[in-house]
Amino acid sequence: MSMRNHVADRPPGMRDVFPQRAGDRRRLENQLLEFFEAHGYDMVSSGSFEYVDTLLRGRSIHDSEDWIQIFDTTGRAVALRPDMTPSIARMAAPLLSAGRESVLWCYAEKVYHRTTDPASLSWLSGKAAESTQVGVECIGRGGREADVDILALCRRATDSLGLTEWQMVVSHAMFAPAFLVAVGTPESAVEALLGCLTKGDYVGFRRIAAEAGVSHDVLSWLQAQNPFSSQEMQVPDEIDWTASPAGERAVAAWDDLVSLAQELEERGLADGITFDLTLHRDLTYYTGIVFEVFAPGVGAPIALGGRYDDLLSYFGVSAPAVGFTFEIERALAAKDEGVWPTKPNQQSAREVP
Amino acid sequence: MLTIALAKGRTADASIALWRDAGIPAPADLDEGRALMFELKSTAWGDLRYLLVKPVDVPTYVQFGVADVGVVGKDVLMEQEREVYELLDLGTAQCKLCVAGHPSEQDSPARKVATKYPRLTDAYFRSQGRAVEIVPLSGSIELAPVIGLTDRIFDLVQTGTTLKAHGLVVFDEVAEVSARLIANKSSYRTKRALVDRLTKVLGERLARSEGELV
Repeated sequence: MSMRNHVADRPPGMRDVFPQRAGDRRRLENQLLEFFEAHGYDMVSSGSFEYVDTLLRGRSIHDSEDWIQIFDTTGRAVALRPDMTPSIARMAAPLLSAGRESVLWCYAEKVYHRTTDPASLSWLSGKAAESTQVGVECIGRGGREADVDILALCRRATDSLGLTEWQMVVSHAMFAPAFLVAVGTPESAVEALLGCLTKGDYVGFRRIAAEAGVSHDVLSWLQAQNPFSSQEMQVPDEIDWTASPAGERAVAAWDDLVSLAQELEERGLADGITFDLTLHRDLTYYTGIVFEVFAPGVGAPIALGGRYDDLLSYFGVSAPAVGFTFEIERALAAKDEGVWPTKPNQQSAREVP
Repeated sequence: MLTIALAKGRTADASIALWRDAGIPAPADLDEGRALMFELKSTAWGDLRYLLVKPVDVPTYVQFGVADVGVVGKDVLMEQEREVYELLDLGTAQCKLCVAGHPSEQDSPARKVATKYPRLTDAYFRSQGRAVEIVPLSGSIELAPVIGLTDRIFDLVQTGTTLKAHGLVVFDEVAEVSARLIANKSSYRTKRALVDRLTKVLGERLARSEGELV
C-alpha cells in the first residue's frame, strides 16, 4: 500500500470529518445555538475574511502573528477571522450608534489560526488551524449583573451538554498587571511575567521575578487571592494600595471580583466556579472578568470568554460588552470522555515478556 | 486518582528518589521487570498511577490528559512548546544543552548540525546570525561528526563522558536544563487540590535540600 496519495492531499491543518462524527458535531452546534436563542440571543453570521485593520482594532500587533493573512484584489490585507468578536463588534456598532440599547447575538462559525502542529493534536489542545466556535456576545450591558448573567448562561450551557465534572475558572484582566506593579515588581518585567501566566509557565515566572529583583513570592500571593472567602486581598506584606495608580486599579478590579463572588453565591451559582487570579489571557482587549471552562480529558478550555468594554469604541460607539464561546471540537471530545473505559486493562498495559 | 507520566531513564530515577523523600508513595523499583505502569494505593494520596514513557512523549501524555501530571526535562518542553502548565523546577537530572564538535572544527563556521532538537538548534544558530543545515537524528548524535555527517552536534550533555569518548568537545553551552513538573490544563483545574498538594510537598522538599546545602 502506498501512503502517498497526491490526489487525496489536503493543506496542512485541514481536517476531514467522516459520517457520524460530522453529524455529532453539527448537532452539538445546533444544540448550543438553540440554547442561546431560547435565552434571547439572535443568530448572526459574517464572511470568513475581515480586513486586518478591523481585526487589529483594540488589539496588539502581536496577536496577528497567529492569523492567516492574504491580500485582496485591491491590495488590502485581509485575514481569516481568528474569532468572531471583531466581526460582531463591527456589525453591532452602527445599530448601537443609531440608538439601540443592547445587542444580544449568537453565532456558529469556523475560525482560523496559523499552526504548525499536526491537526489531530491541536483540536484537543493548542490552536487548531480551523475550528468551530459557537458563542454569544452581549453588547450594551455593563456591570456586575451582566457579568453574573453571562457566567450563569455559560454554566447552564455547559450543563445542557450533559457535562458534569466541569470547572469554571474566573479571573480579571486588569488585576494581575496592576497587582504586580502595586506590590513593587519593576514595570520592565511585568510584560514577561504576564506572558508566563498566559502560558502557565510558573517556573519561568519565578525565574523572571527573581532576576528582576522581586524578593517576595508574588506568584503565591496571586494564587492565594480568593474573593469567595475573603473581602480583603490576602497579602503578607503591608501594601499601601492607595499609594499608586496601579494599586488603585488592583483594588478596583478586586472589588469587582468580590461583588461578583457575592452575587454568584446569592444566586446559587458558585458551585463549580473557582477564582484564580493567575489566569491571564493573551487577548489585549479584555477589560474585566475573563473566564475559562475546563472538562476532564481535554487539555484546553472547552469554553472561554470575558468582558471587553473598550472594543466597541474602536468601531465608533462606546458600549460595554461581554461574551464567550464554546470550542466545539473540544466540547465534543469532552462529551466522549467517559464513553471509553476509564480503567485500562492491566494486562494490555504491560509488555509481553 | 492521579496519573503521573515519568520520562524513562535518568529523569525518572532521579525524580522518584525526590518523590520518596517528600513522602509521596512511589514505585519501589522502576527497572523491575518490563512494567510500564505502576498502580499504588495509599490513604494519604488516594490511588496513584505511574506511567513510564519515552521522554519526548511525556508532554503528549500530559497534553492529552491521559496523565494528569508529568516529569520531563526542560529541553523537551523547550523543543515542543506544548499547552501544559509548568509548575515546578525539580532541579533533578541537571544537564546542559550544548553545541559540540571535533576540536579541529572549533574555529571554522558551523555548516551542518546533527540534533534531536531541530527547533532549538535553528533558533540558536539564527540568534548567532548563522544559517546552518540541520540534520535531524533521533539518537547516537555523537556519531554524526565522527563519521563526517555534520561538523557540529546540538545535544544534551550531562557529564561530558560520552563526548570525550568520541573525541568531541563542547563549543558552547546554550542552556541549563533540569526536570520539570508539568500538569494537564484540565487536570490542574478539576483536580486542583491534589495537584497543588503535590507541588507544595515537592517544593518544600526542594527548599529543605537547598537549606541543607547552604
